Amino acid sequence: MDVDHKEPPSPTARFHDGMSSRRRIVALVLGEHLDIVEDGQVIASWLYADVRRVEAGAGLRLRSVSGAPLARLEIEHEAAAALLMQRCSALDDDVAEIQTGRIIGWSLAATASIVAMVFLGIPFAAERLAPLLPHAAEARLGEAVDKSVRASFGGKVCTTAAGQAALDELTARLDSGPAGISIQPRVLDADLQNAYTLPGGRIYLFKGLLEQSRDLDEIAGIMAHEIGHVRSHHITKALIQSGGTSFLLGLLFGDLTGSSVVLTISASLLDASHSRDAERAADDYAVQALVRLGRSATPFGDFLRRVSEEDEKGTILDSHPVSAERLDRIRRTDRPQVGEPILSAEAWTALRTICPRPRTTPRKTMKRRNL
Amino acid sequence: MHQPVQALPSEPPHAVVFHGSRGRFWKLVARGALLEFVTLGFYRFWLTTDIRRHLWSNTSVGGDPAEYTGRARELLVGFLIAVTILIPFYLAYFLLGLEAERLQAFASVPLIFAFLVFGQFAVYRARRYRVTRTVWRGLRFSMTGSALAYCWRASLWSLLVALTLGIAYPWRQAALERFKMKHTSYGTLEGRFEGRPRQLLGQIWWMLLLAPFALVLFVPAPFLYAAFRAAEWRWWISGIRIGEIAFHSDLTRKALFGIYWKVVGWLTLIFAAVGALYAGFIAAAVLRGGQEPSEVEILAAAQSPAILVGIALSYLIAGVAAGAIVRVYLSRDVWVRIAATTSVLNISAADDVSGQGSLADPLGEGLIDGFDMGGI
Repeated sequence: MDVDHKEPPSPTARFHDGMSSRRRIVALVLGEHLDIVEDGQVIASWLYADVRRVEAGAGLRLRSVSGAPLARLEIEHEAAAALLMQRCSALDDDVAEIQTGRIIGWSLAATASIVAMVFLGIPFAAERLAPLLPHAAEARLGEAVDKSVRASFGGKVCTTAAGQAALDELTARLDSGPAGISIQPRVLDADLQNAYTLPGGRIYLFKGLLEQSRDLDEIAGIMAHEIGHVRSHHITKALIQSGGTSFLLGLLFGDLTGSSVVLTISASLLDASHSRDAERAADDYAVQALVRLGRSATPFGDFLRRVSEEDEKGTILDSHPVSAERLDRIRRTDRPQVGEPILSAEAWTALRTICPRPRTTPRKTMKRRNL
Repeated sequence: MHQPVQALPSEPPHAVVFHGSRGRFWKLVARGALLEFVTLGFYRFWLTTDIRRHLWSNTSVGGDPAEYTGRARELLVGFLIAVTILIPFYLAYFLLGLEAERLQAFASVPLIFAFLVFGQFAVYRARRYRVTRTVWRGLRFSMTGSALAYCWRASLWSLLVALTLGIAYPWRQAALERFKMKHTSYGTLEGRFEGRPRQLLGQIWWMLLLAPFALVLFVPAPFLYAAFRAAEWRWWISGIRIGEIAFHSDLTRKALFGIYWKVVGWLTLIFAAVGALYAGFIAAAVLRGGQEPSEVEILAAAQSPAILVGIALSYLIAGVAAGAIVRVYLSRDVWVRIAATTSVLNISAADDVSGQGSLADPLGEGLIDGFDMGGI
């Protein structure tokens, strides 16, 4: 007791009581407790075990977990600080409270679950959800992006009556989907050799493809392939998948906005058929449709190869070219031609010339292959 | 109405002093960046808290260091709450965007402004969190006021600034700062803002004129930006009043030139390195086959899992490194320059103030994190 009650080192410390900003010059008495003394009066008494260090630029700043929450003791006198620190057993417990290992562990767990969601959960959900979506919703989705996607190809729709009638007939014959959900095929006045599908059944065939084709079966294959995308809800699936993925990754990296959601949809739509499985399924659908009508799929396969070979200046951003594997599969499932042509010769001519002749110079836009 | 505040004759202005060492801050940020990388970004809540604690506690005003009492866990909770709020918000945004696009191509673009408006709400709430986690002399700062009221004020003022091509900017800043300071107090000392917009305009009008040229020519842009920030911060600090306490800033644009140039330099270096890495990855994958690669091979190479992982990793590294640079230069160095040039007048008014404020929730911080609009 005697030893502990020695005179405190002076002039000792500053004390803020956590009630007012008044700076109190205090003496410290290191007894059974830490007594904070102002003008001979004990104004606070802290248990050593409760004293914690609070970061301060210079000097030692302390608080007590059992004292007023914002009461602070500041000691600049080094000897006094050292003397006091010896007695405080839990001085740095605040720092220890932050366990880096736990943060890392939980972060990795969160990351793992997000990655699992991206690779397993979302594709599964997309696969199951897309067919359940009411057709009206899909059609609305397609309608929403229709204008901006079409605008990005700079194309007008060719509307020659006879040509459109031929295209409608071709579509109806190839399509084996449920009645009532109509497919709306259109020809876009653009030189690209391409075709794309929007959710809800809009199919756009580019004029460039019509001009490149040598016979009806080639175009029939392309159309059947796109109808396959429609009937398997590929585009909607891809939409759900890319939307969900970017949202989850946004969560992970703390950027939830990304870029404007709706505009990026246009891009994701065009990349929709990226999935190999979707392409394979659409090819299968096309071959089945052709075989059912007694036509061979060989012209379709040849056409795909011809079109993709011609277009050599593809960049990485262009989506998949026609792989050998796809062609091989088409060849394997093909049957020899037995039936009559799908359309009459007149109808085929009408379709080929659906875009009026004195054509305006079409705008060259981005080259993409989404067959 | 505006009177230059003068120190009482007996009271010299007090300098604001920063004690922290740059080396320690670098260490803090480097360790944080490493952990951010390991945790794929989740460590940001802890790092932000550490950085604030470091900056606050190393800054002494009137001989007493400030203190930051925020906790990383609070930021994490704020972020999680923000996510639950943002999900329906995003859904609504998505559906509205779809409807707009149905009527007219690209009609959804103006919806981005909804985010900007909502962002102002977050800005106010986040400021409230930081203010109420700031303790000096054992007394917490407090802040009240409706974030919604601030949100529409800020949005309307921004609109006016856009319409006047920037001329209204000083008036916007003054009005918003008045709003913020009016609702800020230190115990019983009420805050207010006395900066006059015309004074700011007098300092920045030529920058507004030069801004379009600087943006095109690029090289003058960091200089101009430094000059602009210096003028604005000087004006802002000198306009702050808390009770009878006033502040004065002598921040010069020269003090900031170096900082902004170094940031530009570092970021260029980082992104060039990552770009080279990308190119390297793809080239390596493609050239392995020998001969001239076909389109198929390039595509297959670019989409192979190894490449995708490599790209994701380098994206992460670049992000984390850029974050560290921004924190060291734009958070710390700017803070230190500002502190070194700021002095406090009539600080004796804060000698015996009482009245603890109450704490605000971290929602605003979470929203800002969700919007990716980080600051200090």
